[in-house]
Amino acid sequence: MKCALIFLYRYLSIGILDCMSQDLKTFCIIPAYNEEKTIVEVINSVKPLVDQVVVVDDGSGDKTFELAKAQDVAVLHHIINRGQGAALKTGTEYALKHSADIIVHFDADGQFLANDIKSVVKPIKKGEAEVVFGSRFLSKESNVPFSKKYLIMPLAKLINKIFSGIKLTDPQSGFRAISAYAARQINWQQDRMAHCSEILFAVSRADLKIKEVPITVIYHNFGQKFADGFRILKDLFMARLIN
Amino acid sequence: MFQQTIALIIIAFFLARLFWQKQKKQIGAGEFIFWLVFWLLAAIAMICLKWIDKLVAGLGFSAMGIEVLLYIAVAILFYFIFRLRLRLEKIEKDITKIVREISFNIKK
Repeated sequence: MKCALIFLYRYLSIGILDCMSQDLKTFCIIPAYNEEKTIVEVINSVKPLVDQVVVVDDGSGDKTFELAKAQDVAVLHHIINRGQGAALKTGTEYALKHSADIIVHFDADGQFLANDIKSVVKPIKKGEAEVVFGSRFLSKESNVPFSKKYLIMPLAKLINKIFSGIKLTDPQSGFRAISAYAARQINWQQDRMAHCSEILFAVSRADLKIKEVPITVIYHNFGQKFADGFRILKDLFMARLIN
Repeated sequence: MFQQTIALIIIAFFLARLFWQKQKKQIGAGEFIFWLVFWLLAAIAMICLKWIDKLVAGLGFSAMGIEVLLYIAVAILFYFIFRLRLRLEKIEKDITKIVREISFNIKK
């Protein structure tokens, strides 16, 4: 009975989303930690493409918070640094409280292109998916570092495939769009970098419709290193024990 | 015998400290009972060392009783570190919840 109700709710909500796709409120969550160099540019590039930008300043020691506040967007402030996963969850909860229909997760370091938001949001608006992941590897334009492309990512893909059963070309992508329904189903606990994998596992458990779309990433720095991969594995292992 | 006496003096010191902490209400009842049982067991093990030697030999171990006690102590220490780690993880999660609530309240 419960399963039937969930099924009905999900597909009715997709149907409603399809009919009302023009009126859907899209929120863009930007977690930011010491990003004073890029935050203003990122906010201004994203602002015209969504209904509301939510910046979550994750206890920055620089002027990220002040600069974001001056841009006429919603700014939440973590008084101490809690990690990207925690900041994203804060922003997502805020968006849900303010009646968001679609929530986009975006980085503050200027590596993502704001225009890709349109393609990430599109499958949700059309009712084709509830969670859309941006993939660096479906696009030829991303300048992904060699070791990341051929060593770190294949390992990450394998681990995520084993634990979630979902085969993605870019399981560690931080650029994603989720419907409000999906956001309520995905309750991630990881405060740091392991949230990407945890979101994937939660999506798999909740049996949500997913889609991958190509995005372009311009690398200014290497990002997650091999050691970070081990840290992610350790965090996921600890989470399993606690929960 | 000399080593056993030294060990028992050390145990007596920790037991006295434990009672002093309880009297000053620096530890809870549960923690007091746990450490009381722990140090009493340690004292019994020290007094019955020869009997433990026989028991260990009877179980087929080649090591002496005191060595087996040391191995057990290391295993218990690892377990405590693990428990501590779990506790820390839970505290981290709680801190995040508090920080999140504060951020919502500041926004209001």
